[in-house]
Amino acid sequence: MPSSYRDRAGSVDGYGSVDRGPKSRGLRIFSHFGLPKTLGHQVKGDIHPAIVRLALQFSEFKICGANARCIATLTAFKTVIQDYVTPPHNTLSRHLMTYLSPQITHLVAARPMSVTMGNAIRQLKLEISDSDIDLPEQDAKDELCQKIDNYIRDRIIIADEVIEDLAVKKIKDGDVVLTYARSSLVEKIILRAHSLNKQFSVIVIDSRPLLEGKTLLHSLTSTVPPIPCTYALLPALPSLITDADVVLLGAHSLHANGSVYSRAGTAMVAMLAKEHSVPVMLCCETYKFSETVMLDGFGKNELGSFIPKFSPDTPKSNSNLEVLNPLYDSTPPSCITAVVTEVGLIPPTSISSIPLALGKTTL
Amino acid sequence: MASDPQSAANQRIVEDLVSRLRRRQVVGSRATALETLLVLRQVVSKARFSNIDQLVNVIRSVGRRLVEAQPKEHSVGNTVRKVLHHIREEYHTASEPPAIETSFSIAKFVLQGQPRRQTTIPRSETRVPLKENDPDDPDSFARVLKPVLMEAIQDVFDELETVYDNISKNAKDHIHSDEIILTLGMSTTVQSFLKAAAHYRNYTVIVAETAPSYGGREMAKSLSSAGISTFLVPDSSIYALMSRVNKVILGAHAILANGGMFATSGSLLAATAARSYSTPVVVCAGQFKLTPLWNLYHEYGALDFGDPSAVLGFEEGDLVDKVDVVNPYYDYVQPELLDVFITNYGDHPPSSIYRLLKETYDDEDNEL
Repeated sequence: MPSSYRDRAGSVDGYGSVDRGPKSRGLRIFSHFGLPKTLGHQVKGDIHPAIVRLALQFSEFKICGANARCIATLTAFKTVIQDYVTPPHNTLSRHLMTYLSPQITHLVAARPMSVTMGNAIRQLKLEISDSDIDLPEQDAKDELCQKIDNYIRDRIIIADEVIEDLAVKKIKDGDVVLTYARSSLVEKIILRAHSLNKQFSVIVIDSRPLLEGKTLLHSLTSTVPPIPCTYALLPALPSLITDADVVLLGAHSLHANGSVYSRAGTAMVAMLAKEHSVPVMLCCETYKFSETVMLDGFGKNELGSFIPKFSPDTPKSNSNLEVLNPLYDSTPPSCITAVVTEVGLIPPTSISSIPLALGKTTL
Repeated sequence: MASDPQSAANQRIVEDLVSRLRRRQVVGSRATALETLLVLRQVVSKARFSNIDQLVNVIRSVGRRLVEAQPKEHSVGNTVRKVLHHIREEYHTASEPPAIETSFSIAKFVLQGQPRRQTTIPRSETRVPLKENDPDDPDSFARVLKPVLMEAIQDVFDELETVYDNISKNAKDHIHSDEIILTLGMSTTVQSFLKAAAHYRNYTVIVAETAPSYGGREMAKSLSSAGISTFLVPDSSIYALMSRVNKVILGAHAILANGGMFATSGSLLAATAARSYSTPVVVCAGQFKLTPLWNLYHEYGALDFGDPSAVLGFEEGDLVDKVDVVNPYYDYVQPELLDVFITNYGDHPPSSIYRLLKETYDDEDNEL
């Protein structure tokens, strides 16, 4: 771990210290992407150790993926809440949020907040402000932790199980399932289908910068009997898409206009599947919905600053050359056949009606 | 029907290229075209023939052997076709009485197509009457024709030598100031095109790495060292960046008769993404990549596969024997996705490629 951290710091230096004078234009186009942060060790203010640790894990991509980050954040907040002591002349419902805010800021400094974390934190804020002033402090904290556990259970774990049930029905014997990189939810769906003794094979498409598909391959081939898998990198996709019967994709977040914000490359897989009339099923829990509208993957994105260990020949940035690793892209709703959520299979354009259908005014 | 002693010498040089092609020691369209031309020049200079059919047969049989050695290097066959075309043309000019083509009529245009540009240049000034199958002096035909043929082959040679310059000469008309260009893979043609444009324009290039060969990295290094502002990105981010890209510039492996092309895998993704944003796709390719072929079987592009260990190496030991790994070399890109081919003969829309093919090769050579 220390060595990989040093690698990263080195590359960050490459970014930070170059004179950007001559290529100001290049910089301007990409300026809003948010340049990689050098943050890591320096801790400003009263940050809980659990949060410091989590921030490091985020910035080093030890924990990545919308679900994993959300669960890790909520779990860390439980520790923070348990360790929190309300100062005198204050109430928990009024003061706890002011204590949590810098913790959140620290996490966001490590890596931009995911939509899932945003939704969960918004819910947590609501619960904190709703907590009874007359309740003894320990009881109030226990109640909050219980609510966090419930959120994780209802919105993520149970939701995933329902989605698995729904999506598995769409995998039939003899099908070829194509997926891109590794979504934890898609992985669970495939494993569930396999445990139901369905006979199918899987094509895993993968790409730099993260090459997450290798992890998926490991878990799919370690089943008994192993699931027949084909592995290829993204440029080979056009050769393989004709074999696929269904495409399963994961998402980072879903936006009000139906566009899908997900790991870079998802949009091209969906686009090509649509081109070849292969149904694209996007698997996504409702807590990933966002009220905002996303028009393209350029407006909002994030850069991975790391140069991975397995490609030592990646050129270093110099005055004319800059190495960018955008992590996300945005898939237009026209490329998605159906979104599998815990409330059923819906078209991507109906996303905005879901919060109302769930009987909530806020997500 | 070359006589035996010379055919042996010819065979050796042909055999040498055949084995190098088969072992992929000669790769790249231009390199293979040049090597083929060198072999053909030798073959023609040593061949013994007393009429045109004998010569054509010798060249075709050599061409067939070379093409069979590496059927995916289309420029080999193309070069052979082009040489045959030139030889026939020289033969016709030499055997026909001069000053017959002075008048140009619509009827002739309909019959023969557009006047070919090679015919406009009169070559041999001194005309010796050509006599085929002379029983007294069987070599006389070859003796008269050979110098002209060598000259014609030299022309093809010169064309290959200057192909990059001629493609790049209009680069500044295609790339304008402050544009953002997306390209991928390592193509010498595209590289020289972009560098030529950089003399006149200040623009930005985004290069996709193009896994698993990662030719894009080499391209990015080369472009940035020429002073072009360059961004190197993974293939996965092509779609995300496409909304800001003004033009996609690709290289080709072979241009097909219907206006489609074989190109480095990844090109189809970029071209499809470009179309969804209505971004023009420009292909830079030498004229020797024009191939009189149709791709009717699109799966797996050109049916040519690379080394799977580049995709999933042996460091992932336990996966290697459980997983099928696919690494196709080429994509087939449909003509609908392309906007223009820039060749050393000028700019052509995909819909006029078939006409260019008719002008460049003779129909009877499509199957060697």
